[in-house]
Amino acid sequence: MSDVNDTAPDDEMLAAEMVLGLASEQDTAAARQRMASDAAFSTKVVFWYERMTALTDDIDPVKPPARVKKKLFAQVFARQKVSILQRVWLWQGVAMASLLFAGYLGVQLLKVTTHPDIPPPVLAAQLDSDSSPLRVLAVLEPVKNEIALRRVAGEPVPNRSFELWAILPDQAPVSLGVLPDSETTRVAIPPSWRDQTAQMTLAISDEPIGGSPTGAPTGDVLAIGAMTNL
Amino acid sequence: MDRQEIEDLIARVALQDRAAFEQLYDRVSAKLFGVCLRVLNSRAAAEDAMQDTFVKIWNNADRYNSNGLSPMTWLITIARNTAIDRLRARKKGHQNLDSPGFELVAPGPTPEQSAVNASEAAKLAGCLETLEGDRGQAIRGAYLDGETYADLAVRFNVPLNTMRTWLRRGLIALRECMSL
Repeated sequence: MSDVNDTAPDDEMLAAEMVLGLASEQDTAAARQRMASDAAFSTKVVFWYERMTALTDDIDPVKPPARVKKKLFAQVFARQKVSILQRVWLWQGVAMASLLFAGYLGVQLLKVTTHPDIPPPVLAAQLDSDSSPLRVLAVLEPVKNEIALRRVAGEPVPNRSFELWAILPDQAPVSLGVLPDSETTRVAIPPSWRDQTAQMTLAISDEPIGGSPTGAPTGDVLAIGAMTNL
Repeated sequence: MDRQEIEDLIARVALQDRAAFEQLYDRVSAKLFGVCLRVLNSRAAAEDAMQDTFVKIWNNADRYNSNGLSPMTWLITIARNTAIDRLRARKKGHQNLDSPGFELVAPGPTPEQSAVNASEAAKLAGCLETLEGDRGQAIRGAYLDGETYADLAVRFNVPLNTMRTWLRRGLIALRECMSL
């Protein structure tokens, strides 16, 4: 640091007082604004943060009780689970143009598949999430208009139900029913959705026995995945 | 602490990597809990402050790279500021401290440039000792106990303005001592 002598003392004090928490509310607000545009000033702030942190050097680490970690992870990841759904909607909103194009392609493919020699496209999804061990593979069977599901990881939870949801862009999730405890199962695709399966995202939520009492997911989203063309 | 390792973990946490968040917690929670305990002097309050600290880390990790701080300074500062906010919350009219990196900052030094090596950091303790009178104690009190100018004026039994002038002189002397 060679700028010590030509440093304006007022800036130096403002930076130090802000770091120590001694600056007034007004000064702190002004300092924050300056940090956004004034690199020389934010360098001073960084200088004081780095140096003052040395005051914690002789504070011994103390192992926190395990319950803190548990509470923290429940808090952080409960919130994230909600946002997965929100993100899916946002992402699908952003991708609307390409989805429309995909829809157009779908129609073209549908025309093509009337030709007996060309097999129909295969749609499938892998449903999972970071927050739950549950993993389910879903494959769409276009002729039967069914989704075949296989649970490949995770176990049913006693006294809870897994409920399957279908989500289309910009629409609220629609229940496809509660899943049985068996590893494999099949669910029918509602007729009005049959031409939109390429845009569908499937999700499984944790619900009271018998499924959500409200018609919308009430519990954590345990697994989620978008249909992709294999 | 391996600086590069912590930096990598923060970068992965910024991508919402849960496993990295857990590793970061396992790596630094004892230090951050120690800091919260030192400030709050109560296990229950320190537990809450540390939980808050990690929620902030999770939510703001994507801004870490732009703030110019070394990784442990950033993490410890969030813990210290969170703990001091809790300590001060009991007082009327308290305004929360800002933690660094929660907003955009003008491009300044990179974390590599601003990193303080061990001998440089050790200077601080030595420099605080050299300060006249109880100024070193006052600076420690502000940083570790969240004492305001008003608190310090009462503790050292001097008028508020005297306290302010006195502590600022201490900071100028400290800055010079540390830059030598």
